[in-house]
Amino acid sequence: MNKSWQIPRRTFLKGLGTVVALPMLDAMAPVKTFASIGAKAKPPVRMAFVYVPNGAHMQDWTPLTQGLDFDLPYILRPLAPVKSHLTVLSGLTHDKGRTNSDNAGHHARGATVFLTGTQALKSEGADIRAGVSADQVAASVIGKQTRFASLELGTERGRQAGKCDSGYSCAYSNNISWRDESTPMAKETNPREVFERLFGSDSKKEVDENRVRRERYKKSILDFVLDDAKRLSSKVGGNDRQKLDEYLTAVREIEVRLEKAERASGQGIILPADAEKPTGVPDSFGEHIRLMGDMMVLAFQTDVTRVCTFMIANEGSNKSYPFIGVNEGHHTLSHHQGDAKKHAQIREINKFHITQFAHILQRLKSIPEGDGSLLDNCMLVYGSALSDGNAHNSENLPVLLAGRGGGTILSGRHLRYEYETPMCNLFLSMLERVGASTAAFGDSTGPLHGLEA
Amino acid sequence: MNRFWQLLAGLVFECWFGLSPRAIGAADVASQTAKTEIKASDPLTFAKDLKPLLSEYCFNCHSKEKPKAGLNLERFKDDTIIMQDRKTWQMVMEMIESREMPPEKKPKPTEEQRQSMIHFIEAELAKLDCNGPVNPGKVTLRRLNRTEYNNTIRDLLGINFKPAADFPSDEVGYGFDNIGDVLSLPPILMEKYLAAAEQIVTKAIVANPAAQTLIKRIEAETLPSTANGSTFEDRALSLDTEGEAYTEFEFPQKGEYIIRARAFGQQAGPDPARMSVRVAGKELSVIDVPAIESAPGIYEVRAPLELGKQRLAVAYINNYNVSDHPDPKLRGDRNLVVDYIEVEGPLGAEPPPLPETHTRVIPRKPVPATQHEYAKEILQKFAKRAYRRPVLDEEIERLLRFIEIVKMDKGTFEEGIQLAIQAILTSPHFLFRWELDPTPEKSGTARTLTNHEIASRLSYFLWSSMPDDELFSLAEQKLLTQQETLEAQIKRMLQDPNAKALVESFASQWLTIRNLEIAQPDPDLFPEFDENLKTAMRKETELFFEAVMREDRSVLEFLDANFTFLNERLARHYEIEGIKGEQFQRVSLNKGSGRGGILTQASILTITSNPTRTSPVSRGKWILEQILGTPPPPPPPDAGELEESQQALDSASLRQRVEMHRAKPECAVCHSKMDPIGFAFENFDAIGRWRSLDGKFPVDPSGTLPSGQSFNGPDELKAILKSQETFVRSLSEKMLTFALGRGLEYYDKCAVDEIVKTLVKNDYKFSTLVSEIVTSEPFLMRKKEGDTP
Repeated sequence: MNKSWQIPRRTFLKGLGTVVALPMLDAMAPVKTFASIGAKAKPPVRMAFVYVPNGAHMQDWTPLTQGLDFDLPYILRPLAPVKSHLTVLSGLTHDKGRTNSDNAGHHARGATVFLTGTQALKSEGADIRAGVSADQVAASVIGKQTRFASLELGTERGRQAGKCDSGYSCAYSNNISWRDESTPMAKETNPREVFERLFGSDSKKEVDENRVRRERYKKSILDFVLDDAKRLSSKVGGNDRQKLDEYLTAVREIEVRLEKAERASGQGIILPADAEKPTGVPDSFGEHIRLMGDMMVLAFQTDVTRVCTFMIANEGSNKSYPFIGVNEGHHTLSHHQGDAKKHAQIREINKFHITQFAHILQRLKSIPEGDGSLLDNCMLVYGSALSDGNAHNSENLPVLLAGRGGGTILSGRHLRYEYETPMCNLFLSMLERVGASTAAFGDSTGPLHGLEA
Repeated sequence: MNRFWQLLAGLVFECWFGLSPRAIGAADVASQTAKTEIKASDPLTFAKDLKPLLSEYCFNCHSKEKPKAGLNLERFKDDTIIMQDRKTWQMVMEMIESREMPPEKKPKPTEEQRQSMIHFIEAELAKLDCNGPVNPGKVTLRRLNRTEYNNTIRDLLGINFKPAADFPSDEVGYGFDNIGDVLSLPPILMEKYLAAAEQIVTKAIVANPAAQTLIKRIEAETLPSTANGSTFEDRALSLDTEGEAYTEFEFPQKGEYIIRARAFGQQAGPDPARMSVRVAGKELSVIDVPAIESAPGIYEVRAPLELGKQRLAVAYINNYNVSDHPDPKLRGDRNLVVDYIEVEGPLGAEPPPLPETHTRVIPRKPVPATQHEYAKEILQKFAKRAYRRPVLDEEIERLLRFIEIVKMDKGTFEEGIQLAIQAILTSPHFLFRWELDPTPEKSGTARTLTNHEIASRLSYFLWSSMPDDELFSLAEQKLLTQQETLEAQIKRMLQDPNAKALVESFASQWLTIRNLEIAQPDPDLFPEFDENLKTAMRKETELFFEAVMREDRSVLEFLDANFTFLNERLARHYEIEGIKGEQFQRVSLNKGSGRGGILTQASILTITSNPTRTSPVSRGKWILEQILGTPPPPPPPDAGELEESQQALDSASLRQRVEMHRAKPECAVCHSKMDPIGFAFENFDAIGRWRSLDGKFPVDPSGTLPSGQSFNGPDELKAILKSQETFVRSLSEKMLTFALGRGLEYYDKCAVDEIVKTLVKNDYKFSTLVSEIVTSEPFLMRKKEGDTP
């Protein structure tokens, strides 16, 4: 058994603050870190959603006290260094995660409802239906301002065989981000791939002339295939049409990105000094999570995107965590049936995940921006769509909100909301702060009160 | 048919199979035949058997005056109306079956009444007239999945580098990753397609055959040196004292070469830094390097050189380090900094031959006078294969524009072809498998697929790849609609090496052995479980499936056989003597070895276990789902918890603890089906090793099925499973699902009936199964666009 889960493998880029020469496709209007801007120009607000499966051991999650100076229970202790940027939200609910006259399928519905507030249509394949997710609502509005409208990250590819959750397609439990009601946004799970996609694949000093030509050719290909697709579009209907529409949407997205690049002055991205390009997927799960987290941080720092989702593991994940002494699968354990031993193991897993999240927050905190840190300008939601993994309940969800939303969130508190407060209210408030206000979202009843200073 | 089957079918009513229409098919199938059995003694009618129960337990909330949740059950007056609103009745049955209805605090039917209601509805839903108009169903437009993309590129262009390795995972539906409705195309995948297309054409086609001299660049900072060399800012090598940076370079031929170096000097003193270029110790030239850091220079020397490995060096020969010179302008430390060394040549030599991937697309050297026609010919040939159908002139004209674009940029002919192919590989015509209905005739009626569409379905079914030349040729001759041709092709294709794809795509998903990748047996309890063992486990199952396929054996051998494939490692794991070496070999199994067939292979036994122990429930469930096609429903909402005091845990074996599941009747209904099957395999631990003790308890592999049939150990269970039709039916359904790329619906029952009937008649031969699927109506036909599903 391969027990070497310790060693990270990275390569170092060139030295201090070098410009990475990129093909023009990947260049953007003068992008730089906001480290140097003074207080006058306000850095943009970023939003991220980090997902963990199978609920949490709530007894060691929920702080006993409310308001400022709340206690950090066992699972949340690793967040101590960033406590002042942390807001613990108790009592939020996702009603559409409940059975509501479907049966079983809590995991599939859970992952689906988390960012959409909609109930997954029970289907193994035909008519997969969810709803657009909050991150994509934001991306559709503010995404035009950045090179990538949004970033979807994960560590586990989809389930490769068999069933995922009784009667529900695996698409439901493997995704939290939905572009529209039938298109989940696929996640990238290889950190090297993420880096290359965002920042270009190698440092070859391509002659400008070649680069320009390549971009022109790319555009001509896109025109051509778009034409193909439009001609086909008039000949199909129903489900076929919907599949073709996905194709059309995808092609248009790339066209838009090309156009943005053309309008830009063609500068490269300035990567921070300590940016490292990962060499692949590490053996260690912890390292994998942290590496993906680093990519999120880097993406925010260089402003290539302002919207990110990250599934630390797929919903229903049955991964075991032998490196922290948990040899049973996570999902199996979460059906604890009150067993104290299982509770103990579950909370270790929960704490492990929180530790990786703490790493991300500390990195964000360490990056200066405006008159504070990058973390000040972020809003990161961390949570699960199930509360207790055994009861599979959808109320009183474990939810954290980290960051200060550009000064619009008074952090460092534990806020308890009244019974059945929709989690979608939180998303409504976040969408407003990020510049993508909407009247309602999912089953929201209004903004979430009490977040602001 | 024997009693077990009939009773199993009877029990099949009692559990819910999930809302998947395909699963309904399974239920329908079993119930239909059972219904025939029961009909003789017990004709059911709506008025007598269902209405009274609905009236007593449902109408209070679901009536015309008070249709809760929008459901009015009073409007159904007789048998026929059930058929007209399948969806509603499907849901009603599910609600009753899962005990969600009647809800808490409302009067509930007895278990017998409940089963009776379910029985009736199910029987009604299963009513199907197979002599009526054909409904072959409709497959939603399918895009190539990752495997299919890789294989198609391999067969189209001859490149084997698996460009789809970095594509996001395909979603799985109905157990397979090739289901049209489930496969989506997120924007990130489109990016990958574009990037992959570029990579592919770059690898396959040489852009500039004329300029094919070797140019090799060596970054200097990677080289050792004798000159106190140090890395200069990670990008160059600084030679601080006299000496050289060197490498052993393989000169491919005797001939003229250019040695090039990009360098600058940290200048000091009167002279510029000076460099010597040497090969095999012999100095080729001494070069002044006046360039400075902000503007490095490129310096060349041209010389005739011999073939073979020789030391290539760039030397710094005039070090200067004076810090106390009276003239301050002459103070300083001079160093030579080298960025890279490049070797170009042999100049004027014959270029190496073009790779096959190039010549299969561009067979002859292009001649300027006939370029246009040549391009047309090339693209015609290529697009026809890439789009898997005849191509219109107008399509080729549009593709020729790429040749023009490149020509205007003064690019080569080959670059033009590259660009056109990039476009083809990104086109929806390539990425999707089209089955366009000819513009509207009567919607809702069925049509036979075109020859080309059949060719594609056939090749993607058996090879997960595009049709080959023979299939294309038969399609062009319109012979693929003939039964004999199809059957001959099937036989050929199953023997072709490409049929390996059926193992990698179908078998690995049917048997869920892809899940071996994520199996994590507790390393403390099972230290012997390592990569080698895991790989061997998977290989055994794959080779076994392949043997049944290639040797056209009976599919019943999947359940039990007298041979398998082992290497030394796996044989040791199974405690079978006499097998040596890493290579897999065919091994005859003695009667009583207990390892015949898939159910007792370590792969299956491992993926149906928990990390720390076996799980008879999981094993039972897996067999019900994957082998028998009768998946148990999820637990009812009020399932409650298993009472397990510590005392009970210590004193009871796993089996005894599991048996407590059956204390409550609503649990027993399904657990009595799952658990006994799982118990049969308790002699195999969580990584498939034989054991006679589970901890301190002796293993008891006996069990009794709900039918009353009992067995002692897996061999007897295998015999029981082999003796009835459920397995064969399930395998047929699963393979049909895979072949079609859609879940099965109730109307597919007719096709499945046919398939099973013929399979039984033909000794269950594997090729018969494939043949029957391919010649079935759902495979050869499709329903046209219309409102009705």
